[in-house]
This record gives sequence, structure tokens and C-alpha cells, in this order.
Amino acid sequence: MFVSRSMVSQVITIDKDASVFEAQEKMAANGIRHLPVVEADNRLIGIVTDRDIRSVMPYSLIKEKGIAREREKLAHLKVADIMTRNPKTISPMYTIQDALLMIQKEKVGAFPVVDDKGELQGILSVRDLLRAFINVLGIGQPGTLVGIEVEEKIGQMKKIVDAITEENISFGSVLVARTWDEGKRAVFPYLLTNNVSKVKKKLSTMGYKLINPMDWYLDRLPKKQ
Amino acid sequence: MKRTGYLHDNRYLLHDTGPYHPEMADRLIAVYNGIKEAGLLDQLTLIPAVRADLKWIETVHDPKYIRRFEEVCLSGNRTFDYPDNQMCVDTYETAYLAVGGILDTARRIMEGELDNAFCAVRPPGHHAERDQAMGFCYFNNVAIAARYLQMEHGIQRVGIIDSDVHHGNGTQHIFEKDPTVFYYSIHQHPSFSFPGTGREFEEGAGDGQGFTKNSLVLPGQGDDVYEQLILSDLLPAFERFKPEVIIVSTGFDGHRDDDMSDVNLSTEGYSWILENIMKLGNQYAAGRVISVLEGGYCLDRLGELATNHVRILLNG
Repeated sequence: MFVSRSMVSQVITIDKDASVFEAQEKMAANGIRHLPVVEADNRLIGIVTDRDIRSVMPYSLIKEKGIAREREKLAHLKVADIMTRNPKTISPMYTIQDALLMIQKEKVGAFPVVDDKGELQGILSVRDLLRAFINVLGIGQPGTLVGIEVEEKIGQMKKIVDAITEENISFGSVLVARTWDEGKRAVFPYLLTNNVSKVKKKLSTMGYKLINPMDWYLDRLPKKQ
Repeated sequence: MKRTGYLHDNRYLLHDTGPYHPEMADRLIAVYNGIKEAGLLDQLTLIPAVRADLKWIETVHDPKYIRRFEEVCLSGNRTFDYPDNQMCVDTYETAYLAVGGILDTARRIMEGELDNAFCAVRPPGHHAERDQAMGFCYFNNVAIAARYLQMEHGIQRVGIIDSDVHHGNGTQHIFEKDPTVFYYSIHQHPSFSFPGTGREFEEGAGDGQGFTKNSLVLPGQGDDVYEQLILSDLLPAFERFKPEVIIVSTGFDGHRDDDMSDVNLSTEGYSWILENIMKLGNQYAAGRVISVLEGGYCLDRLGELATNHVRILLNG
């Protein structure tokens, strides 16, 4: 669950004295949107994003790279002039949960991962978090999602898990939607089987309400007052 | 009336999936009884199963996988690769008979003995990957048939239409880079259904880009959405592709009474689908339509669905 296990360690970086064109080409060539800026001793001093570059370039230059006069005007512009200094960083010992919450709070697309000496150890982007999330959901494996409405009280999950386990079905994941109706939770077991009809009948017989798939949701925005 | 083949063999009942498994031998008995009670047996050409030649299975499956399947099966294991894949000691041979029967049916069509056919086989095939059994499937019957038609009968373009309510991941993956086989599937949206593949953005890869098409149906939807999607997605795609033979992966599990899905196709909806496939077959493939059974688990409905199915094939 630590960032060190999910981050990209072979980081593509750029020098603060590089031109913005150099930064732009580096991003395009590597298919990335963030370049940490480091000193010779690998100490992080900033980050430059494709948005920083776009905001200093006239549209015509992004669209067609040709126009020489326009290019000249920007040639003096260095990464140091447009980068974000002292960006938000995270430690390799942060957890994925920390990173998820921080990315939501800071509204950024990636965090440089920096150790306590200030040296760059890696970068963690939304893309890396998505990969981790797809793995946690289990949707890379063949299976079927089932939705069950339960009372919000202790012991519900055990009954559900026991009922499914008795059918010799393994779990790809179990998700719980917390913003369900008052006093209820929705449990979504992702079952690694094609054969859910028997277990669905069994859960209904046990008194659980199976949720109509068209009403499934994992997240609901708070209702506006 | 067309000369329609009906591949049926009691040896397909030998693949025993144990108690409480939806993919059970009774399915084929329900199909047979339905067709018999409708008085259609006399109009059909009954085709018995024959054992497939290994070389055809190897055109699709990894030889190591085939050997593994044989070993696991003959050593008395009850499951293979996933707990879903329940089997018995006869499963391996039955899988050979399923493939062999389909290939023999294809041969009869190519040699002009038959116009079209319904192959009521077990085990089904469309989830089977090159090197993995999945979703009750061991050998990918339709994929092997497509390769056989190309290699033995000089067919260049094979169109596969998968009407099973689950996505045929195996068939899609086997042909996703191949522009000579078009894979079209219409199924319940993968976020609500096994196996979780067959999303709208999966459209083939490499040379095969654009030769895979998935149409998605949401839980609760039925006949009208199927009609709309087949008209908007399948017909134009096959009009461009012009398949010389059409293989149908037929699954009856989208029926509203089948509890393996939340899709609500009616019996009439199923007829509409096959009638439109027949139109495509007549237009591009000289009527050569080979329907191969995949899923369909509602024993009370399989008889009428199979009866309508062969009736439409007979009418061409």
C-alpha cells in the first residue's frame, strides 16, 4: 500500500536551464505530462507540466511547431521561468490512500516522490493510482458483479461472505458504497464466476434485497440543500 | 425449403458438470425434445458427432494447453483453470466431439450437401482462450471452425456473430489482430455481466483494428434495443466486410426467463435476430450460416427457442 511500490522510479526529469521547447519535446516523446526539475545532486526544485507550457505558448505554436519568428520570441524562456517552485511532494512511505486523498485535495495530476533529504525518488501520477484501483477492483479477471442492500449494522458482511463461500465461489473484490440510503449500505461483491444465479437466489431467500443493476452506484454526490 | 443440418449426439450428454451447474446435459435434451415435438426432425438432416483431428484444434489452441486439459481431465479432476469449469473424465473427449461435429457440419455445407445448420453441442466454446479454459468453455468451437473454413475450404472472410448474452472474450482475443475474421458480439454490458470484457472501445488491434465490434445492452433492456443495435452496428459492419460464411455463436441466455442475465429478450426477439442474420447470410455468404450453441440455461424455454431457430434456418 506504500507509494514506493506504485510509483514510477525511473523518472524523466529536466534541468531548470532547459528551454520550454526542450521540455515540450521531452513530454511528447515520452507520453507524459509532468517533468520534475532537479539540481545536479538530484534535489527537487520544481515541477513543470504540459499546462505550464501551454499557458506561455500562443495557440499557433502548439498547433504547428513551424513558425520561426514565434519560436524565437520564446527561445529565451527557460523551464525555471515557468515551473512551479516547491511543489507539493509526497514521501515514498505515504500510502496509496494518502495519495488518493491528497490528489483530490490539491487538484494536481501527479506528485513527485521525495525522500527526507529532498532527493527525487519517483513520481506518482493519477495513472498509477488508476492502475492500483483497477487491481483492487479485480476487474482484470473474469467475473460478475452483484449488488446487495444491507442494514447498516455489524455482522452483515460475514453472512454474505459465508453464503457465497459455501457455494465455492471466490471473490475478486468486495466494495461497499457508503452514501446509500439512510441506515443502509450497498455491498458489491465481484465474484470470479459466470454462475451467480444460484447464489443470488440464496441471498434473496436469506432476506437480502438484491439491487437492480440499473440502480447501482458506488458514489453519490451529497444532495444539495 | 433449405437443407438444414442439425448436429445432435447423445455423447454430448457425457460431459457431466455435477449437481447444480447451469451448463448441464438436460439443456440438449430440452433442445432435442422441443424440435421433436414440433415435428421438425423429419425436415432436418440429423448429423452425428465425429472426433476432431487434433491439427484443427491446434490452429487456435496452444499445444501445451491441450495437453494440460487432457492431463487434468483424465486424472479425474473435477475442475479446470476456474472452479466454474466443472468437468468429468469424459469432458476432454466430449470437447473433441463438439469440435469434430461442427467441422464435419461445415464440410457438408461447403461441399453443397447442406445449406445451413444448427450445431447443438456441449461443452460451449466462446469464452475459451488460446491457453485457458473459462466460463464453462474448453475448446473455442467457433474459432476452430473459422480457421478450418479458411485453411481447408479457401474461405477468406469469416463473419462471426455472437448472440450469447455474455461476451465471447476467447473468440475476440483469438481474432483481434486478424482482419480476415470479423467478430461481432451483442451482450449485456460487461460492468454488469461475466466476464467483464467486450467494452465498446474494444475494436480490434493492429491489422485487425476495426474488425471487432461490441454492442452493449443494459440490464432490463430487450427486443427494441437489440433491434436498434443490430441495425446500426452489425448490418453496416457486415455490409463492408462481406463475409463468405457466417458462424453464429448462439446463446439463448438473454431470454427474459433465463436467470443468467438481466437482459429481457423475448422468444420473438430471438427469432428477429436470426431472421436478420439469415438476410445477411443470403446477401453475402450464399446462405451459408452455421449456428453453434453457446449458452442458454432456461430449460423451460430452450425447446421453443431451438424450434424457432431451426424453423428460421429451414425457411432460409
